[in-house]
Amino acid sequence: MTIADDISVSRADRPERRVSTLPAKTILLGLLTSIIVVFCVLPFLLVLAISFGRKVDGAAWVWDFTFDNYQRFFVGVLWPDEVTFLYLQQLGFSFYFAVIASLLAVLTALPFTLQLTRLKRTSQAMWLVFIMASLSLSEVFIVMGWDILLSNNSGLPKLFKETGLTQWLKDVGWFQHLRDWGLANPRNVKFKTSDFATILTMSYLVWPYAVILLYPALSRLDPSLSEAARTMGASRWTVTRTVTLPSIRLPLFGTTLLLFVFLLGTYVSITVFAAPNKHTTAVAIYSNIRGANLNAPFGATQAIMLLISASACLYLGHVFNRRSEVR
Amino acid sequence: MGGLVLKGISKSFGNTRAVEPTDLTFAKGELTALLGPSGCGKTTLLRMIAGLEEPTRGVILLGDTDITRLTAHKRKFGMVFQSFALFPHYSVRENVAYSLIIDGVPKAQAYEKANELLETVQLVGFGDRRIGELSGGQRQRVAIARALAQEPEVFLLDEPMSALDAKLREEMQVELRLLQQRLGITTIVVTHDQREAMTMADQIVVMSNGRVEQIAKPQDVYHKPANAFVADFIGKANFFDGVYRDGAIQVGDCRLKAKAGFQSGSLVRVAIRPERTCIDDDPGENRIPARVMFVRDLGPLREYHLQSEIGPIIVEYAAGETGPSLVKGDTTTVRLPPDALQVFPGARAA
Repeated sequence: MTIADDISVSRADRPERRVSTLPAKTILLGLLTSIIVVFCVLPFLLVLAISFGRKVDGAAWVWDFTFDNYQRFFVGVLWPDEVTFLYLQQLGFSFYFAVIASLLAVLTALPFTLQLTRLKRTSQAMWLVFIMASLSLSEVFIVMGWDILLSNNSGLPKLFKETGLTQWLKDVGWFQHLRDWGLANPRNVKFKTSDFATILTMSYLVWPYAVILLYPALSRLDPSLSEAARTMGASRWTVTRTVTLPSIRLPLFGTTLLLFVFLLGTYVSITVFAAPNKHTTAVAIYSNIRGANLNAPFGATQAIMLLISASACLYLGHVFNRRSEVR
Repeated sequence: MGGLVLKGISKSFGNTRAVEPTDLTFAKGELTALLGPSGCGKTTLLRMIAGLEEPTRGVILLGDTDITRLTAHKRKFGMVFQSFALFPHYSVRENVAYSLIIDGVPKAQAYEKANELLETVQLVGFGDRRIGELSGGQRQRVAIARALAQEPEVFLLDEPMSALDAKLREEMQVELRLLQQRLGITTIVVTHDQREAMTMADQIVVMSNGRVEQIAKPQDVYHKPANAFVADFIGKANFFDGVYRDGAIQVGDCRLKAKAGFQSGSLVRVAIRPERTCIDDDPGENRIPARVMFVRDLGPLREYHLQSEIGPIIVEYAAGETGPSLVKGDTTTVRLPPDALQVFPGARAA
């Protein structure tokens, strides 16, 4: 018998382990798929199905297949007699608050994170642990804190008045500007309700995420790039503008996009700090499903539209990233 | 503008002294190599010259101008980094034109100059490429072109060949030297590769532990090392520790005649280059019996590794040179010509 024959015999003798493990693998895969379907896909499909349902006046809702809710979302409930953009406007406010708050968070987190990466390793670790720990605070807790801080009777406005800062602002003529921006009443500064307080709180909510998302990219940034630019005559600002920011534009954009999508669904901050006429789609969804309206199909429609908008933004971001990579 | 002068320059990081007080002169138009092992302070010295590190003490003069406190972006010394530090978000042309564009030169003019520089470094037609599309050697050329774009008075290179493979490194050493000679720029190269320093430099500054050990021309650094460290770091050498006594060095039971001026009883370290060591039957002094332990044929060189009563000895013969034909286990006699022996203060006497 040759060695080759020997090998082929020993191979033939070997048990087919593949056959025996296949059912176990299939069962495990099936189980995982079922979990994903039940807990992730099914709720979404239910929301999608409900969005085609119909609200019964004076009662709950019934299953149906109508596009009335989608039509209402785009042109209002009075169409075709009258066209209103109330719900698109709410979606617009969702975008408005989410865009500004995410940009503010990223723009303030960027210099902080840059400085953080220049610290000693132990200091960096301590800061990161502290920042990660702050993520454990819920939105309700954070908003409550800011609510107290910005409230007219016990927060910053009271401090402004007691310390004479309000009077000083009036004396130098800046108080009128604050009134023009909706940040003061005739007597004192006021931050509730205002876009300022809403955006500030929303930014604060996602700021730790911004730091944590930017940190890996910034810590990998080769310091010799900026040093090379400096030896070629670039000032610190020129280095930031021409080297640092372009080098991290993709992580920067990705972080902003992620925070933006996250903030599209903000509920508590908007409810507490935004003026009622500036409430967003997230607030409208809640009031339709659980609130006074009890119009679950229309709430589901708004949820689907918010999801489509977020997906569209993520897709555009992906396209932008790919184009940048190709460049 | 004259050359670059460092007076008493030193640098400390906390309690660690990275560069001991150093006086150096870099003559205008010459290429100086800062040579030494890793961590000897050569890169810190270069960074102080570039303005990327502030000296703890001392003065840096460019001609008659004190530039010690001048920031890096105002010194505008062209610098090539070990990693090349090319901007990945710019094309090759944009990289080369960077210093000109931020200086306010119109783009068309800057790109024209960039194209000229790319021609100088033999990268014609590479202007539109991205940095990621270039090989190591091409990246190095781009880095050189970029550093030269602002027509610097001093050109600094921090281990510019370390990212290249051995063959390309040798080619680039010659190319860089020819370019530097053509442009006549005062150039300082940091390297730990003595071959690179010997190939390119007009002057070599050998450093160790933050100190300058020797400043000399390449041939002098090799043939007349200032101390045992330089003799060991530059090229290969056989070393023997002994005691100087009555005009000879006692190494174990062996007396070696050598030209040296030490007090009798001084501890000394003797060095001899492998190519100055002989295996022959010629009569003469300093003959030591030895056994061949290993023979290494490198093509252009043949090395005999021998064991003698004063320690291991390596003897080197160039190809074509008349030498013995010995094999492992043969016994022979090694001759250490007195004029080839270099004697330095011993470790305890230093």
